Amino acid sequence: MRSFQSQPEQSAGEPKVKNPAEEHGRIVMRDGAPRPLFFTGKRPKRRRHSRHKVAFFHFRYYEPAFKYFTEQVLDADFVPTPTPTRATIKRGEEMSADYVCTPFKHIIGDYAAALEQGADTLVQVTGFCRLNYYGELQEMILRDAGYEHFQMLNFSYVATGKIRDYVAYCKKVVNPNLSIPHGVKNLLGAYRMVEHIDTFRDRYLANAGFETEPGSFARVRKEFLSAMNAAKSNGDIEDGFRRAMDALDALPTNKPEDPVRVGIVGEYYTAQDPTSCLNLEQKLLDMGVELSNAMSISAFNLHYNAQAARESIAEYSVHDMGPTSTFNIAAAKRFAKAGYDGLVHIKSAGCTPEIDVMPVLQRLSRDYHIPVLFLTFDTQTSDAGLDTRLEAFYDMIAMRKVRS
Amino acid sequence: MKLEFGQRADLADIRRIGIPRALLYYRYGIAWRTFFTELGLEVVLDAPSDRGTLEVGDRLSVDECCLASKLFLGHVAALVDQGVDAVFVPSLMGYGRFDTFCTKFQALPDLAENAFIVAGRRVRVVSFRIDELAGETEEAAYLGLAARFGVTRKEARRAYKAAIAAQRDYDDAMAREQEKLVRSISKLPAAERPLTILLAAHPYVSHDPFVGGVVEDALREQGACVLFADEADKARSLKKSYEFSHSIPWIVNRELIGATLLLHEHIDGIVLMSAYPCGPDSMCDDAIERCIKGKPILTLTVDAQAGTAGVETRVESFIDILAYQKKGGYLHA
Repeated sequence: MRSFQSQPEQSAGEPKVKNPAEEHGRIVMRDGAPRPLFFTGKRPKRRRHSRHKVAFFHFRYYEPAFKYFTEQVLDADFVPTPTPTRATIKRGEEMSADYVCTPFKHIIGDYAAALEQGADTLVQVTGFCRLNYYGELQEMILRDAGYEHFQMLNFSYVATGKIRDYVAYCKKVVNPNLSIPHGVKNLLGAYRMVEHIDTFRDRYLANAGFETEPGSFARVRKEFLSAMNAAKSNGDIEDGFRRAMDALDALPTNKPEDPVRVGIVGEYYTAQDPTSCLNLEQKLLDMGVELSNAMSISAFNLHYNAQAARESIAEYSVHDMGPTSTFNIAAAKRFAKAGYDGLVHIKSAGCTPEIDVMPVLQRLSRDYHIPVLFLTFDTQTSDAGLDTRLEAFYDMIAMRKVRS
Repeated sequence: MKLEFGQRADLADIRRIGIPRALLYYRYGIAWRTFFTELGLEVVLDAPSDRGTLEVGDRLSVDECCLASKLFLGHVAALVDQGVDAVFVPSLMGYGRFDTFCTKFQALPDLAENAFIVAGRRVRVVSFRIDELAGETEEAAYLGLAARFGVTRKEARRAYKAAIAAQRDYDDAMAREQEKLVRSISKLPAAERPLTILLAAHPYVSHDPFVGGVVEDALREQGACVLFADEADKARSLKKSYEFSHSIPWIVNRELIGATLLLHEHIDGIVLMSAYPCGPDSMCDDAIERCIKGKPILTLTVDAQAGTAGVETRVESFIDILAYQKKGGYLHA
């Protein structure tokens, strides 16, 4: 019997004569997914677009969340931004205007490094203040500097602020094939991951100053971050988080009854990012301090009750003074009321809203008798001056604590 | 702020209200003055800025504040010294997603109050807030404030209308004046045309005699004709600026950029001036230098230490270069 089935290498319709021995029966299995018999002239959307390589800027330890967002929500490749070095920071400084705020310089340095790693899509977020204009200006500067083959996913362009428009924009720029149900499910995972990273950070800051085995806390954090980095599903995230928290709680510490406690408030990026603030948190922890950092994505973006914060500081400010001002004043007041021994206020050079917060914090410091250390960070990389100031500050608050 | 006419006239005891001659006074001052005069208050303005204002303001501010903000606190202190009942300091957030003000203007009332308390002094601040994105409109802000002075709804509305109209008339008159000037210059034969320089700066920089006045004088002394970017037609400038950028969030910078684009063919050079360290300008000046091509740009920064020293020399050399260029370059001079 003649078979009329066409084979790929055969033109359609041509009869194929088979070996009579095969007529009795055979088993066939080929690798790969089922495909239509003939080429219909239409390729699925995902074949028409090459995958994009997406890179974020460096921001504290949130990289696993950015990675998860890129891979599981946007369904694109993630290019990890290289750890910032002196050269990266210098590059960023050279590319930006003199007195633009410091995060701008750090971020553009990161972008240049990421583009050299082969990224072709850079993500910039939107916010208040100068952050609104970051993306557009950075794109312009990078193009002027000779980087041509990249695009920006700049959320400032979505003027309406509606979720639907953000999704449409992501589809347009990164992945036209973005699946909404899949994306929403994993976006929740990314959201949880951010919360977990912040919870872990808070626990870490509270106890790491009293570790009995040097480096044990940092080791657990490293394991936690690599577990988050390897997460492929929402289950992996919860699992990794639970294991890391158990490991963290199991570490031996020699925390005294009443440790010296310091609260950190300040500008969104610099107060959190260890590269920007010259690893200030670790320096304080090394002195044996219980730390609380008010600023994090969860605290400011996900769980922030603006109305309550505004009401809690009514005696200090009537109107919102700036994007993070109310949040910081409220946090500082909370720390002061909770009996913290000192406050550190961190900002980048020229940050207008945080400069305006300073008189309020001075007043609060006077009202609650709590010392405040004001620190301004630019792109300097030497930390000798910072060490001296932190030591002096620690000595002062520790002595006050002993005396009281 | 909710309108509570006849209920909460907590400001009715104020007879003399001071308006500091700084920052957005140079943009909305006429509206504010008209508004309070219409409400039957005595409006007190302090003297224009000088070195003394800066010194007083400097002592009241955090070191890192911008020059304009230091001057502002100096003006508030001057008003307090003159014995006004209260000082009017509005909190201005903006009119839309990309029509906002620098965060400084949001913070001003609280900043002034706290800075004075830290310095051991007191100032009574009268304020309103405009944040149209959050639903606090300009009209509601003016009417709400009027209500607190114990006037009727009708009087409040009249005062608001008069204030807005006065400001609009003034702005329109300035824009017309400038357009007339531009037209008359372009009618002159090319050889007789004076050098036309556009001064692009925030109004509180370009029109403050202590800051921008020096530059304006220096330019005029060199025989240049000075145009002000902030005195162009505001609505047209704002619209034009969207051709330049989608996402610049500051309305004043948008208007400056739009005006620069509108006047581009009529000018010989641009002077960008900012008060150190101005947040919006730190980014917009960079963008302007990169993207507004074909005209020489002089960027001047005035800070609290050096003040305007050295500005004259820079302006002189800039004008010299332009004059040589106009004659056909150094070879033909």
